[in-house]
Amino acid sequence: MRFVVRRLGFFLVTLWAAVTLNFLIPRLMPGNAAIAMMSRYKGHVNPQAMHALEIAFGVHNHQSLVSSYFTYLGNIARGHFGVSLTFFPDTVAHQVLQALPWTLALVGITTILAFLLGTLIGLVSGWRRGGALDGVLPPLFVITSAFPYFWLALLAIWLFSLKLGWFPESGGYEVTTTVGWNWTFVSDAFTHSILPALTIIVTAIGGWILTMRNNMITVLTEDYVRMARAKGLKPWRIMWTYAGRNAILPNLVGFAMSLGFVVGGAILVEFVFNYPGVGWMFLQSVENQDYALMQALFLMITVTVLLAILAADVATAILDPRTRERG
Amino acid sequence: MKRVLVLLLAVGLTAAACGGHKSSAGKKGAVTISNEQGTTWTCGFNPFNSDVNFLSAGTVYEELTFVNGLKSGQTTNWLASSYEWGNANKTLTFTIRKGVKWTDGKPLTAADVLYTFNLIKKYPALDLNASWAVLKSVTQKGDQIVFQFKTPAVPYFYYIADQTPIVPQHVWSKIANPVTYKDSHPIGSGPFKMDRCSPQVIKYTKNGGYWQKGKPTIETIYYPAFTSNDPANQQLASGKAQWGSQFIPNIKSFYLKGNSDNHYWFPPTVNVSVFINQKDPILKDVAVRKAMAYAIDRQKVSEVGEYGYEPASNQTGIVTPTFSSWLDPTLAKQVTYSPAKAIAILKAAGYKQKNGQFYTSDGKPLSFTMINIGGYSDWVASAQLVQEQLKKIGIKVTPENLSSTTYDADNYAGKFQLSYNGNLSGGPAPYYELRQLLYSKNSAPIGQNATTNWERYENPAVDKLIDSYAGTADSAKQHEIVRKLQKVMVDDIPVIPVTEGVDWYQYNTKKLSGWVTEQNPYAQPAAYVYPDWAVVLLNLKPKA
Repeated sequence: MRFVVRRLGFFLVTLWAAVTLNFLIPRLMPGNAAIAMMSRYKGHVNPQAMHALEIAFGVHNHQSLVSSYFTYLGNIARGHFGVSLTFFPDTVAHQVLQALPWTLALVGITTILAFLLGTLIGLVSGWRRGGALDGVLPPLFVITSAFPYFWLALLAIWLFSLKLGWFPESGGYEVTTTVGWNWTFVSDAFTHSILPALTIIVTAIGGWILTMRNNMITVLTEDYVRMARAKGLKPWRIMWTYAGRNAILPNLVGFAMSLGFVVGGAILVEFVFNYPGVGWMFLQSVENQDYALMQALFLMITVTVLLAILAADVATAILDPRTRERG
Repeated sequence: MKRVLVLLLAVGLTAAACGGHKSSAGKKGAVTISNEQGTTWTCGFNPFNSDVNFLSAGTVYEELTFVNGLKSGQTTNWLASSYEWGNANKTLTFTIRKGVKWTDGKPLTAADVLYTFNLIKKYPALDLNASWAVLKSVTQKGDQIVFQFKTPAVPYFYYIADQTPIVPQHVWSKIANPVTYKDSHPIGSGPFKMDRCSPQVIKYTKNGGYWQKGKPTIETIYYPAFTSNDPANQQLASGKAQWGSQFIPNIKSFYLKGNSDNHYWFPPTVNVSVFINQKDPILKDVAVRKAMAYAIDRQKVSEVGEYGYEPASNQTGIVTPTFSSWLDPTLAKQVTYSPAKAIAILKAAGYKQKNGQFYTSDGKPLSFTMINIGGYSDWVASAQLVQEQLKKIGIKVTPENLSSTTYDADNYAGKFQLSYNGNLSGGPAPYYELRQLLYSKNSAPIGQNATTNWERYENPAVDKLIDSYAGTADSAKQHEIVRKLQKVMVDDIPVIPVTEGVDWYQYNTKKLSGWVTEQNPYAQPAAYVYPDWAVVLLNLKPKA
């Protein structure tokens, strides 16, 4: 119990520090939101419009840093994130909620799949070191993980959509379909997600395989594994409950971290495939000096990463009694 | 383990086989626009929000008179059936067309026009063209609307008649705050209605009761949002999108090759220039500026830096061939590429050359920084060429490739020595760009934001010339004034025009005809130019 309370305290202090940095850093950037919007429309907008924009965005509403900090804290506590300047006059909450399901579905599912697949491959190939599986899959996926994502994704588009025509080359769904819970849309969205998903898995899986396989090999030399063998236990039982359970511990924290970062989106994927999601929104908020959107997104990532780490700590404590005692 | 992977692949393939990959190109009378805006749609259509107005101005909300920027401001009556200048060009009277209906069935009247202009007066945040800086009053006389200006205001016709979309009073008068009004379901008078919108795509459908009989012949418009260039270009190349409005690298092999239905035309509209800070202690000497103007090989910058897409400019600031009728050919030939002449000018002005590099008489090197947008790869290449060319005559230039926001902030505040810049909006005649460049009221002290005169050129005689243009609707007199302004550009070198920025425009003629062509430039052809894009859409016809 003391362990959990201490972790929770640590969580709150980190959260406060992150929230404060989140407030300060965007304000150190040059320019203002009206200028940022003008530069986005390279000459398409009459320069006179800047004056109108400055009035609309309230650029000249001077409020001291301290008082705006407290307003900010108050708003966060109540879950008010304000109006986005990038998507003016829409609210930050509405925009984020529109983009988030795409990110959670694509990046969330692929992160879990990559972890599960990678850990399984690592587990089996570590167990049967030097076997056929060990000779093929780990080297293959380690190589694909080293590819720059951009390059691999463009190659996949060129081969699978432009040459073979198996998958659509971009977008979250076909422009002619209507968004909604109907079969046409869902199947269309699924088809559009295959290529982005495969490219993410192929580039992400190598890391999980490598660490799991190496952990497995170290664990297999431990005395308790030899003991289990001497007792004549079935090999699969040794593999899963003796070796696997211990080998997975270091991967668990890494997995929790990457789950936390899921809400940050996958900006490269969104760029190459023109796929909807929050990653691109993130970049936009920074480029457009959209404090409200930026803060909401940063906060979302910070909180989920911290929560994921907290969960991982607790999970490790359950799996490994030693951490509890030391804690 | 292998089995799982195989299974995954199989599921994917089946889904691909029975699922998507339908093409919107197959539907009759549909047009898909591929225009990389770097943003997803907010699904707001407020025509006074400069972030989204290009999505509703023209197609949903209409203007009083259409002004064609590619034909030196030729006008077509639109919601106004006629207009007339009076009182020494201080009064402008529009007669509002009868029989026009809003898409909710209510008639459009002069009262709606009056309401629109009073609305942007009441809320300056909506007055995107600062119309009320020159307007004195707007009044209604039956089906006529009378604009009274403070001073003669001929060039403001473009902003009042073409750039201000008219909104329905019966809808907008009920809105609590029109500045933060999203306008998700716009009611307009235009040829298209917004049908549905998601962050990824907007669908417009034909307005069956449109006042131009028999138009539009296009049934549907799909406008997908593209956050990056490559996917947008692929849609064009694959034929999924028929109308493109963006930069495509190697357009000949990527877009034209192997498809005789694909075409492009890039009409120049506004200059990309080296802005020279007139308040800089060294650059305020016209000899230095003139030497630089002679030293830049515009042709080479156009061919190498801009892939030949953007033609070379000339020092008069007149964009050719778009505005050729305004050009003074003798002035245009006056400053041409000649490094020898550039060196001679510097020597004659008392600058000393040491090891190739020029110094002022008190020993300061002619060395300047040039700000540029790091994200525009073509500008970066062009700025590098300018740097090399100026180095040849002994002037050192250090390009600074900035983020666009920092870059704009520096331009507005005048915190630069040289700036590679094509961010002016121009207008339907060369006067608009020259006024943005040279009018001292568009300038500001260093440190304060200037609207367009970022180089801070201030000359009372030039201000007078610019003011006198506003007082004449006589074409011969306007041409004479613009000729004098060209002489100012050549003599004073406030900026050095290098290449001519263009409207990006690609189109596919397989299923649609009636596109803008070089022979028939009836509107600016880029999909992001409003209200022109609606004029293009009204001219498109599905092929039988």
